[in-house]
Amino acid sequence: MTLKQFILTLTLLVCHTLVAQQDSIVQLKEVLISDTQLRDFSSTQSVNRLNDSVINKNSSSLSSLLQYNSVVYLKENGLGMVSSPSFRGTTAQQTAVVWNGININSQLNGQTDFNTINTRDFKEISVRAGGGSVIYGSSAIGGSIHLNSLLEFDNAFTNEIRVNYGSFNTQGINYKTLVSSDKFSASVSFTRNSSDNDYNYVGREGKNLNGQYYNTSLNAVAGYKINSRNRLTLYSYYFDGERHFSLIFPSEIRTKYRDNNTRNLLEWVGNYGKFTSKVKAAFLQEEYKYFDNVRNDAFTYGKVESVIAKYDLSYKAGENLKINTVLDLTQNKGHGSDILNKTRQIGAASVLASHNLGKRFMYEVGLRKEVTNNYQSPLLFSLGTKYKFTPYYTLKLNTSKNFRIPTFNDLYWQGSGNTQLKPENSWQVEAGNNFVYKGFTVSLTGYYIKIKDMLRWVPTGSVWRPVNTDKVKTYGAEVLMGYTKTIGLHNLAINATYGYTKSQNEVTGKQLIYVPFHKATASLSYSYKKISAYYQFLYNGDVFTRSDNNSRYNVDAYTTGNAGVEYNFGTANTYKIGAQMLNAWNADYVSVESRYLPGRNLNVYLNLKF
Amino acid sequence: MNFKKCLLALVAGSVFFVSCSSDDDNAGQAGAYRDGTFILNEGNSTPSTASVTFLGNNGSVQQDIYTTVNPDKPGLGTYLQDLFFSDDKAFIISGSANKITIVDRYTFEYIATVDTNLENPRFGAVVNGKAYVTNYADYRTGADDFLTVINLSDYTTSKVALNNWSEKIIEENGKLYIANGYYGDGTSITVFNPANNTTERVIELGASPESFQEEDGILYVLGGGKLSRINLATNQVSGSITLPAALTYSAQDLTIEDNTLYFTASTSVYAMPLNSATIPATPLLTYTSDSEYGAMYGFNVNDDKIYIADGGNFSEDSEIYTYSLTGTLLNSYTVGVGPNGFYFND
Repeated sequence: MTLKQFILTLTLLVCHTLVAQQDSIVQLKEVLISDTQLRDFSSTQSVNRLNDSVINKNSSSLSSLLQYNSVVYLKENGLGMVSSPSFRGTTAQQTAVVWNGININSQLNGQTDFNTINTRDFKEISVRAGGGSVIYGSSAIGGSIHLNSLLEFDNAFTNEIRVNYGSFNTQGINYKTLVSSDKFSASVSFTRNSSDNDYNYVGREGKNLNGQYYNTSLNAVAGYKINSRNRLTLYSYYFDGERHFSLIFPSEIRTKYRDNNTRNLLEWVGNYGKFTSKVKAAFLQEEYKYFDNVRNDAFTYGKVESVIAKYDLSYKAGENLKINTVLDLTQNKGHGSDILNKTRQIGAASVLASHNLGKRFMYEVGLRKEVTNNYQSPLLFSLGTKYKFTPYYTLKLNTSKNFRIPTFNDLYWQGSGNTQLKPENSWQVEAGNNFVYKGFTVSLTGYYIKIKDMLRWVPTGSVWRPVNTDKVKTYGAEVLMGYTKTIGLHNLAINATYGYTKSQNEVTGKQLIYVPFHKATASLSYSYKKISAYYQFLYNGDVFTRSDNNSRYNVDAYTTGNAGVEYNFGTANTYKIGAQMLNAWNADYVSVESRYLPGRNLNVYLNLKF
Repeated sequence: MNFKKCLLALVAGSVFFVSCSSDDDNAGQAGAYRDGTFILNEGNSTPSTASVTFLGNNGSVQQDIYTTVNPDKPGLGTYLQDLFFSDDKAFIISGSANKITIVDRYTFEYIATVDTNLENPRFGAVVNGKAYVTNYADYRTGADDFLTVINLSDYTTSKVALNNWSEKIIEENGKLYIANGYYGDGTSITVFNPANNTTERVIELGASPESFQEEDGILYVLGGGKLSRINLATNQVSGSITLPAALTYSAQDLTIEDNTLYFTASTSVYAMPLNSATIPATPLLTYTSDSEYGAMYGFNVNDDKIYIADGGNFSEDSEIYTYSLTGTLLNSYTVGVGPNGFYFND
């Protein structure tokens, strides 16, 4: 499927996912993940798990998946173009993207472009709200997005192929295969997306010019049980894509951008009674090239190679107490046309504990300290508790200190980098109320975050340099709701999210730009025997585009919706054919000023599992 | 931060055209924007930040007049670079959108768009029914710089290679003078003959020209630490003054009004008699700006007033200031984002 289309969603159908499973990730036997902290040390926060059946109903970009299924706000520079999140009113650099437990935010600009992640390559994607720096390090302030591969040992051989074709010559193919025995397991997912992306604007002259893109990605996991106690696993992810950057005015000079990222993680897990030991080694490489005129070969680039070594030891004292220590060493080596060649080393140690006291009450604590010669790093902590008052109602409380470290660009930009920077840091607190009653689940979370030493590039002397200047206070409320009902062969599912966000610069008292006060999503799905239909809705409140909050220049609120139908014509296997109508109301809207998004458009797909 | 590259204020060339145009007798014509000053707000990469503010001679201010008058016409583009006049028309250059929007200079009603044969256009001048616009094309080299020639009867365009850094351009006596200076690159003035589209002469200055203006047959050129005089009758440098070391890199915005030569350096304005052989030791005035890259982002002098634009932070509306010729602050006005030039429409 294509990066660009908002394809549908509905979390629902198959998916009890969203709210229902926040508390724990149900593990089937012999299905293993690398990011065990997400499972074991995230009980007092909200974790919204989107499984592959939800992923399959959405467009293949992470941007679109989260736009329609979470409270995360995404600012998209046109369909398929650069997409950056704001989670709980924070900046794009304050959301961490975590691939199999490894933070993969760019070392260059500190964020992840959500249109450079193909969701179909992952078995599950989780949205963990709130602070997570104790576990995941830099950027986990507003929250973190977890891309997980599952390792399964169940003597299986399965294949799945999905092809789609839609408006603007948008094409996608995804192929997945899983081969496993009880000692060996390998799964591979390959995705290719491309689009001419030359849609006409709605209600005005002009079309999206120079918006074409393609990308190819491969995600693989291979595991081998050496013996009953020891297992080796290799995780690999490759992404290569080229996007032309779409124009606002047809006569602009055409530019394009290439991303090339590889991530490899080798993990040796040893189970020794109450102890589980994990040795991890990761090698990550990110590279971009920007061509400021597609007619020339000239480009600017940046590249960072990172090596990470981790030792993760957990101790299980009975059923009720888990203790986990993690030591890690990271080395980043960056170079590029605009940054100085630099290498930096960071060492970190963290301790995590989770303790159940009786069946109703539990708490978890975490501490982390990083050491580096580049900047002073604060002591990070997390403290949370959960109490189940009744089978219907659970209260969660959590407080944490988190941070975001300066990037290579901030530190080493030629002529302007500032090596005296401190990390941005936050202190935050949240309270979550979870209600479960029959088919209903509702969670209501209120949060308050104070962020200090925010980095901003300002004029200092004769050059612009980044300095630790801003203070931001952000608070708000999130509501996640789910309902499922089955009567005979009829299945109904409804899901909804709503976020209210107030994010203020404490010096000026103004709302941050591109942070909506309101965002809501809803989805409804219905199935009867082999046919299913779904509808998906998004409301995005208006946002300021000027830091003085001059409302004359606001990006207006918009409402859009997608509809789809799907028919399973397989007998023994699942063979689905589906069609989707995106932006069914043909809304004329933008996410970023002057970056018009497509009107009503169509997409058909075939999904075969065998 | 591209806008930082677009530092220079425009001023000198356009003042000249204004003064030419203001000779035209337009008495009796209608137009909301007849008596006052256009302020060009360069903006940033977001289209709504690029705008034109009108400051009436009566002190009234109207923001974003182009969009107000032409809500359904194509936008002006981003990074507005220059505005020049020809008869009853105004031409607004967008550096990044590679287009020129033509409006009625009195009503600001949209007339046409020119978007061919332009690549990073900079400044424009008009002679004999044609407009000539400099383009730097690839900013890494001056070798591909060219002129766009616009036929003002039908807005068709053609290109003439210049093969030299090409920035500000003015017309005098049927000839075009082009400052071959681009942030320190290029050290000459090109004399271009529009009658046959050829470069007639390249006058070497030994310093990179930043701004220039003609007065009584002399071309005054400022830049690279020098104030040079070129006698246009002979196309020879007739004299030059070396600026004090403190002003070497900051002096810009040469403007001549009523036999006084003004220029700026950082947040200061200097004034000297046109034929003075010495640079004043102290500025006429200094204003306060907390915007390093936007300090003195636009400057001009007209009708006994000095106009200063402060670029601000390039993401919010910023300020302009008017001063008397003796350096007394008269007024300040909020305009648009990144104001970079004043164009007098009277």
